[in-house]
Amino acid sequence: MGGPSHTKTFVRMLRNSELWGGLFWLLIGGFVVWAGHDMGLGRLHEPGPGFAFYWIGILMCALSLAVIGQALVAGGASLAALWAGTRWLKVSIVVVLLLAYGVGFEAIGFIPCTLALLLVLMWFVDPVDWRVALLVAAVSTFGVWAAMTKWLKIQLPAGVLEGFLR
Amino acid sequence: MDIVAGLSQGFAVALQPINLSYCFIGVFIGTLVGVLPGIGPVSAMSLLLPVTLSGTPEAGIIMMAGIYYGSMYGGSTTSILVNIPGEAASVVTCLDGHAMAKQGRAGPALGIAALGSFAAGTFALVALMLVAPALARVAIAFGPPEYFSLMVLGLTVLSFLSQGAMAKALLMAAVGIVLGLIGIDQITAQPRLTFGRLELLDGIGLVPIVMGLFGVAEILSNLEQELKREVIKARIGGLWPSLQDWAAAKWAIVRGTLLGFFLGILPGGGAVIASFASYAIEKKVSKTPERFGHGAIEGVAGPEAANNAAAGGAFIPLMTLGIPPNVVMALLLGAFIIHGLQPGPLLMTQRPDLFWGIVASMYIGNAMLLVLNMPLIGMWVQVLKLPYRILFPLILMFCIVGVFASGNAVFDVFVMVVFGVLGYLMRKFGYEPAPLVLAFVLGPMLENNLRKSLILSHGDFQIFIARPISAACLVLAVAALIAPLLPALARRRAALPIEP
Repeated sequence: MGGPSHTKTFVRMLRNSELWGGLFWLLIGGFVVWAGHDMGLGRLHEPGPGFAFYWIGILMCALSLAVIGQALVAGGASLAALWAGTRWLKVSIVVVLLLAYGVGFEAIGFIPCTLALLLVLMWFVDPVDWRVALLVAAVSTFGVWAAMTKWLKIQLPAGVLEGFLR
Repeated sequence: MDIVAGLSQGFAVALQPINLSYCFIGVFIGTLVGVLPGIGPVSAMSLLLPVTLSGTPEAGIIMMAGIYYGSMYGGSTTSILVNIPGEAASVVTCLDGHAMAKQGRAGPALGIAALGSFAAGTFALVALMLVAPALARVAIAFGPPEYFSLMVLGLTVLSFLSQGAMAKALLMAAVGIVLGLIGIDQITAQPRLTFGRLELLDGIGLVPIVMGLFGVAEILSNLEQELKREVIKARIGGLWPSLQDWAAAKWAIVRGTLLGFFLGILPGGGAVIASFASYAIEKKVSKTPERFGHGAIEGVAGPEAANNAAAGGAFIPLMTLGIPPNVVMALLLGAFIIHGLQPGPLLMTQRPDLFWGIVASMYIGNAMLLVLNMPLIGMWVQVLKLPYRILFPLILMFCIVGVFASGNAVFDVFVMVVFGVLGYLMRKFGYEPAPLVLAFVLGPMLENNLRKSLILSHGDFQIFIARPISAACLVLAVAALIAPLLPALARRRAALPIEP
C-alpha cells in the first residue's frame, strides 16, 4: 500500500503531459496495427494492403512506449503548465469560429461567412478600431471573391447571395 | 544536351512574358511572407498551390520556387529591423542584424544580407546546373530498393535534425506515412482507413494538412501571446556596405554559401540548419568572437548566404531523384504531381524545357529579388507596421480559400481545422510537424517501393543490403538512429534549430 508520497507521485505522473502525449500515440498506433491486420498482411513475396500499416503501427507503438518510458523516468511539464499564462480562450474561440465557418460555408456562402468571420475576429477576439475592421473585412472579402472567381476562375459558394452574384 | 544549350533553352522559356510575371509574383509573395512574421514559405506555397492549376506547369512551378527563395531574402528584413524572424531560416540573423540596426547600421545589415543572398543564390544555381545532370545520370540506375532506402535515410536524417526527442520526431514520421497511405490501395484497389467517407478515397489532400499544421497552428500559437513588434524608427539609408564591411563579410559569404549548398542537398537538411551552422562556424573562426551578438556583420552575411545557398541546393534531390529533401520541396513535388509531372532522372531528358526553364527563372528571380530588397526596402518597412491583429484574420481567410480551392470541397476546410488543432497541440507537447509532412508525401512512394522490392526479391529482405547504394543509405540511416545515443552527438543535437 502506498503512503501520501506515493499518492503525490502518482498524481504528478497523471498530470505529466509527456505521458498523455505518449499514451495518445500508443492508442493511435494500436489502432493502426489492428487496421493493418484487418486489411490483410499478404505474404512477404506479395505484401497485402495492410502490410505497411501493420508494421508502421508496430513502430508507432514502440516509439510511443519510448516516449512514455522517458516521461516516467524523466518527468515532464504538467498539462496545466502548458497553458499557464496563455490566452487559451482566444485560441478556443478561433477554433469554434472556424468550425462554424465550415458548417455554414456552402449553405450561407463565402461572402457572408467570411465577412462575419473577419468582423468577429477583429471586433471581439483581438479587437481593432471597428471602422478599420469593417474596411479590411469588406475590401479583403470582396477582393478575394473577385480574384478567385473572375481572375482564377475558381468558384466559391455563393450561398444566400446566389441570385445577386450569378 | 549540354549545359549551355540547356540554359539558353531555359532562358527562352523563363523570359516568356507569362513566366516572367509568375516569377515576379512568386518572388514578391516570397519576400512578403518572409517579411511578415507568422506566415512562412510552407504556408504561402500550399496556399498558392491551387492557383498554379490555372497556368502552365512551367509558370506554376516557377512561381512556387520563387516563393521559396524569395522568402529567404525577405526573412532577413524583419530579423534586422524588428528582432523577430520573418521565417525560421532568419532566426539567427536577429542576433547581429538587429544589433547593427540598433547601432544605426540597419542599411549595411540589410545590404549585406541582400547581396550575400544574391551571391549565394547565384552560386547555388551554377552548382545546380553542374551537379544535377551528373546525378540524374547516376539516378537512372536506381531501382525500388535504392529509392526505398534513400527515403528511409531522408526521414531518419530529418528526424535526427529535428528538435526535441528523436523518438517523437520518428513517431511523427510514422504518423505521416500512415496519413499518406489513407485512400485506395494502388495495387489491390482496396479502400484503406477511409471510414466509409467518399472524400477519403483519394486520400487526404496535402494542402489542408500543410495549411492546418503550419498556417492555422501557427496562428493559434501566436494568439496565445500578444505579439509586440517595434520597428526600428531611424531612417534607413546607405544600404551599400562599406569596404571595411565587405572585407569582414566576404569570407563569411563564401563559407556560408558552400556550407549551405551542401546542407541543402542532404536529405533532411535545409535552410534553417544551414543558417545556424554558418553562424556557429563564423563565430568559431573569428579572431574576435566576442563581437558576435553585438553587431558583427559576418553574423549576418554568413547565415544569410547559407540559407539562400541551401534553398538552391535543395532543388537537386528533387529534380534529379524525385525525392524532396525537406517540407518545402515536398510541396514543390506536390505542384509537379498536380500538373501530371514526375520529377526525377528522366525530367531533364523528357522535359528539358521545364527543367532548364526553372533553373533560368531562378537566375532572373534572384536579380528581381535584389531590386525588391535593396531600393524597395522602404515598402517592406511599411508592411512590417501592419498589426498582427489585422494580419491573422486575413491569413486565416487565405488559408480557408486556398484549402477550398485546392479540392473544391468543404471537407478539406474541416480537415484543415482538425490538423490546425493537432498542429497547435503538437507544438505544445513538443512534437514537430516537419517529419510528419515529409513522410506524408513520401509515404505512398515508400510503400510502393517496399512492395515492389519484396516482389522483385520474392520476399527476401536481403535485396536492401545486397545493392551497394541501398546498403549505404541504410547504414547512414542506422548511424543517424544510433547517433543520439552518443553523449557528444546528443549534446550537439540538443542545440539544433527547428527545421520546417
